Order: sequence, then C-alpha cells, then structure tokens
Amino acid sequence: MLGSIIASGLAAGAIYALVGITYNTMFSTSRVMSFTAGQLAMLGGVFGSLFMLKMGMPTLVGFALTLVACAIIGVITEFVAVRPVLKSLEQHLYVLSTLALALMIQQVTAIKWGTEPQPFPRIVGLGTGVWDEKFWLPVVACGLTILGLEYLYRRTLVGHAFMAIAEDNFAARALGLPERNLRVASYALAGVIGGVAGFAGGELMLAFFANGALLNFYGFVPVALGGLGNNRGALIGGLALGLFQQAANFLVGGIFSSVAVFAIFIIVLLAAPSGLFGSATARRV
Amino acid sequence: MSISRRGILLGGAGALGAATFPLARPAIAQSSEPIKIGWLAAMTGPSSAPTVGFNRGVTFATEAINAAGGVKGRKIEIITRDTQGDPTKAVNATQELISQAKVHAIWGPVNSGEALATTPLMARAKMPDLHPCVVDTLIDPAKFPAAFRIAPSNGQWDDAVRNYCLKVLKVSKIAVIGDTTGYGVTAVKASVEAFKKDGADVVYSANIDATQPDMTPDMLRAKNAAAQVIVVWSVSTGMEARMFNTRASMNWDVAFVGHPSLASGELASLIEKPANWEKVYAIGYKSCSYDSAGKLPAKSQDLVDRLNKAKVPLNDTLLWWIAGGIDAVELIARAVEASGSTDSEGIVKYWNSLSKYPGYFGNYSFSPTQHNGYPTDEIVMSEARSAKNGTFALAPGYS
Repeated sequence: MLGSIIASGLAAGAIYALVGITYNTMFSTSRVMSFTAGQLAMLGGVFGSLFMLKMGMPTLVGFALTLVACAIIGVITEFVAVRPVLKSLEQHLYVLSTLALALMIQQVTAIKWGTEPQPFPRIVGLGTGVWDEKFWLPVVACGLTILGLEYLYRRTLVGHAFMAIAEDNFAARALGLPERNLRVASYALAGVIGGVAGFAGGELMLAFFANGALLNFYGFVPVALGGLGNNRGALIGGLALGLFQQAANFLVGGIFSSVAVFAIFIIVLLAAPSGLFGSATARRV
Repeated sequence: MSISRRGILLGGAGALGAATFPLARPAIAQSSEPIKIGWLAAMTGPSSAPTVGFNRGVTFATEAINAAGGVKGRKIEIITRDTQGDPTKAVNATQELISQAKVHAIWGPVNSGEALATTPLMARAKMPDLHPCVVDTLIDPAKFPAAFRIAPSNGQWDDAVRNYCLKVLKVSKIAVIGDTTGYGVTAVKASVEAFKKDGADVVYSANIDATQPDMTPDMLRAKNAAAQVIVVWSVSTGMEARMFNTRASMNWDVAFVGHPSLASGELASLIEKPANWEKVYAIGYKSCSYDSAGKLPAKSQDLVDRLNKAKVPLNDTLLWWIAGGIDAVELIARAVEASGSTDSEGIVKYWNSLSKYPGYFGNYSFSPTQHNGYPTDEIVMSEARSAKNGTFALAPGYS
C-alpha cells in the first residue's frame, strides 16, 4: 500500500507542480493569474494522443508538435485574455477573461475531441506495478523541467531578462528590455510547461477534456501553498499535495479525500497567507 | 327587384361573416390527415449516440407503416426537433411541437435531464408521450397521466443487478462503487439500501471522482473487505477502464456487475489488455442478447434480418435503441388504429389497456396506475466485451 501511495502520489504531485509552475511562469511577467494553466496541461494530453494515436506520428514528433501547439495556445492567451486587461490589473478583470478563455478551450475540446476519455499511448514502455512509466514519467518530466528552468533563469540572458521583468517591470522597461515581447515569450514558455505536464501525465490521466478544470484547481493549490511566483515552493507544494491526496484516498477514500485536501489547504493559508515558502511583498506607495 | 346600396353592404357583410366561420371539413379529408408524431431527438451534441440508434428505428418503422398504406389510410409523419441534449432546447421544442406543429403524440426526449424539464409541460397539454428515460420520478400516473416509459427505470436496473448478484452469482459480500455525479451518488445509495434489505452484506461502498487517476485505493479497500463482486454505477468509461486495469494489476478476479456503460465500445481502447475486460457483466436485455450458440431470440433475429435487408447499420449502435425507436412509433400507430382517432384520451386509454404488448425491445404492460411498461424479468446481464452488431452475449448463469 505504501508503495502505491508514494508512486501515484508523486506522479499526481509532479503534474500538479508543473501546472503550478505554469501559473507562476505566466504570473512572473504579467502579474496575472491565468486560469488557462490547467487547460494547457489538458491540451498536452489531448494533442499528444491526437498526434501519436490518431495521426500515427512517432513519439518525438508528436511530443514536439504538442509543445508547439501548447505554446501557440499560451501566446493566444496573452493576446486574447491578458493584454487587454493589463491596464486595469487592480480590478482583477483577468479572472474573468482568463476563466472565459479557459471555458472556451474546454468546450471546443469537448466538441472537437469528444467528452469521453481517450487513450494515451505508452511512451517508453518501461516498468510495471508501482514502477510503471505512468508513475515515474511525470516525476522525471517535472525534474527535467525544473532543471531546465533553473538553467534558463540563471545562465541565459533571456532568463535574466525574465527575472528582471518579474522583479520590477518598470525598472526593466527603463533599462530598455522589450517587456511586451518577453511577456509573450513567457506565455509561450508556460504553454510548453503545461504541455509537458499533460504529455507526461497522459498515461495516468488519459486524454480527457475534463482534466482541464481539475488541473486548474489542483495546480493552483501548490501555487498558494508554495507562494506565488515561487517555483521551488510550487514543486514542494505539488508533491506534498499529491502524496497527501493519495494517502487520504487510501485512508478515508472517495469524496472525503477531497475534503481532507481542502481542509489542509485552508488551514495552511490561515497560518501562512503568503504560502509556506512565500514572503510578504512590499507595496509601492 | 331593385338593388340598393344598403342591400349590397348587408350582403357583403354577411358573406364576409360567413367566410370567417369554419366550414365542417369532409370526413374523408380528416381521415387522410397524417398522424403527426413529435420526435424530441438529441441528434447532435455529446449525448447523441442513443438518439442516432433510436432514429434509425423511428425511420424504419415509419417507412414500413407508410409503405403498407399507413394507419387506416393515414400516413405517419415524424416531426423531428434536435434538442442537442439541452433541457432548454428540449422545452422550447416541446412547446413548439404542441402549439405550432400540433402533433398528436411525442416520442422522447431520450435522456432524463431533458425529460425532467419537458414532462410537466406535456402533462399540462395532456400530450401522450412515450420515452425511454431512466429516472424513476419521471413516471407518476397521478401527476403525468399521459407519460409512459418503454425502457427500464433506474429502480428496475437496480433490481436486475441485485438479482443477478444474489441469485445467479450467489454472492453475499458486495462492494458498490459509483462516481461523484448526482446520478452516481443517488444510484449507489439506492443500491446499497436495496442490497441490505435483501440480506446481503455490503462490505464496501464509495463514490469516486471520475477523474481520479489511480483506482488502487478503493479497489484495495474493497479487496480487503473481502468483496465477492463489485457493483458499478457510473457512466464514466475512463473510471471504469481504470478499475478494470487496477483489478488486473492486483491479480484479483472479482467480477464487475452494473451499468450498461460497462459494455461501452470506448472501453476497448482504454483497457491495457483485452483480458482486463473479462468477468465484466453489464445490464442488457433478453431481446437483444444472444445465447451460447450465438443465437438471438427468433423475433429479434427476424428484426435483424429485416434491418439488414433495409441496409440499416447495426455495427455502430445498439440493437435495443433501434428496437425501442420502432416500438415507439408502432405503439402510437396501434393506439390511433385501436382508438380510431388521434385524440389524446383515446391514445392514453389504449396504452393503459396494454398487457404484454409484444414489442421488439420488450413486452410492454401498462395500466392506469402503472406506466413503467418494461418488464424487469427481461433485463439480463450481458458479457460486457461481447458486442456484436449491437447485441451482446448473455452473462454466465442464464439457461
């Protein structure tokens, strides 16, 4: 039982963490919580199944096309749901615009792809039982994504520019950084990360339109637990959420496990409103 | 005789007045008026699969009756309205069929969500209605005296599953699992209560979120509770496939019994290997099940032959949907024939008098106090993975 809890808990947790990082990536350059993050992950599974199973493409080609498609959806999010409301961030109109786009993505997927879950192909074909690839693949994908992002943010000029925008976009613009282009690039990057989450978790969650809403919600929890904009916090929060959720599934089961998850979530936020790893931000006056 | 201006005015007014009174139509014109059947069909949208099947039956029956000269010389006219599975559209279509198209009877809608919205409307208009929706409360002869069900209710499904577990499989330790939808929660509760009432030991019951990626926790708890059978009440094929796959990975040979969706063709692509779909028994019907020799009941085989001859596709639908569509049209036609008119009262009175009416889908019986027409003893369990041209093999235990 312990093996099952750890295997499925880490797998689900890694997917939640990746969705949390998708939220953070979009937030860092725009200060917008875009509720399309879960839909991007859902599309990762749907596009992967479409390219590889329905269209018969090789895994690598299917993977690459999935990431491109998700990146495009990410860019569309920036143009359609984020850019028009940036001037009135304090009114939180982005909640409405990004939720509306998320609903549109979900409905279009339901109409075009179908409302029943569709199979997702095996990628590597390694492992059985608790070592099945459907459990370890999301964890590996999450680890590689974190390493890639660390490299991007610490070792590349573009990464430094992202960090500068995230730190203070007014100062970054004053220094001549192309804030708008960087924001578009960060939404494309978020699309890629969401696509990785859905692709790696496809065997576990299947290619199913309803995964979007689920991941939107469970992906938001690690962001809140780990602190907004904190990828390491999202990783730890996501893995903790997955493990706790699976443990609750085993111990109390069914509907009660969701109650247990959200009870803990509320308690943590009451104790640490900025998240476990976040810090209170200074407000400009 | 002189013609005065006043005379012309009076005469003109009289002629105009007379023209506004309806003339009695000759009897011959009335008898050739078509029998208008409203068909509330979810032809498009996510829940359109049953309607596509039902519609093939409706078309087949209508063409057959009209080709044979109609009902006492009156042709059947089907007036179809696509509700897209949306209750709001179903309500609008119902109102339009009643007040504008002036149909004589309605067949449908075919899903309970729509029927919950349309049935009271039809009751107010005293519109005779046949439907195949499963929610128990849709049939109430006191509130909805013109609504008749020609498919099993949820309660009848539950009875059939319970009888199969207790009397055919002869197991006593039961696990009942459903999804977290309103349907799943209600069905699990009713099923657990009925099993307990019949003296069975419900060792485990749960409602699982259909998107839960790993079913091991619930399956393990059911196994640890020594469940001998798992009864499933869900329409989520993803959840069902995960349960079958988990059972295989646990090396557990417990049987699954339950909702017709356990036999859904989509499961074939979701299970990890075909063997994972064995020992799964879904609700089916005697009329649409073949025996160990691969034979359908004679009447059903005759229907299949006729459908094949008419080139009605069977390989992408279920036979009971087609048979249900045929029965609906024929029941309305017979009611008009027997009552001699398309009056609502005559149609309802005829249906209320039926005892073991031999339809293709089942032998229907109605009375003024019982509008659930489908007999419970014609509900059987099918081998879930045995689909063949819309029919299924009988599950083990039936002679």
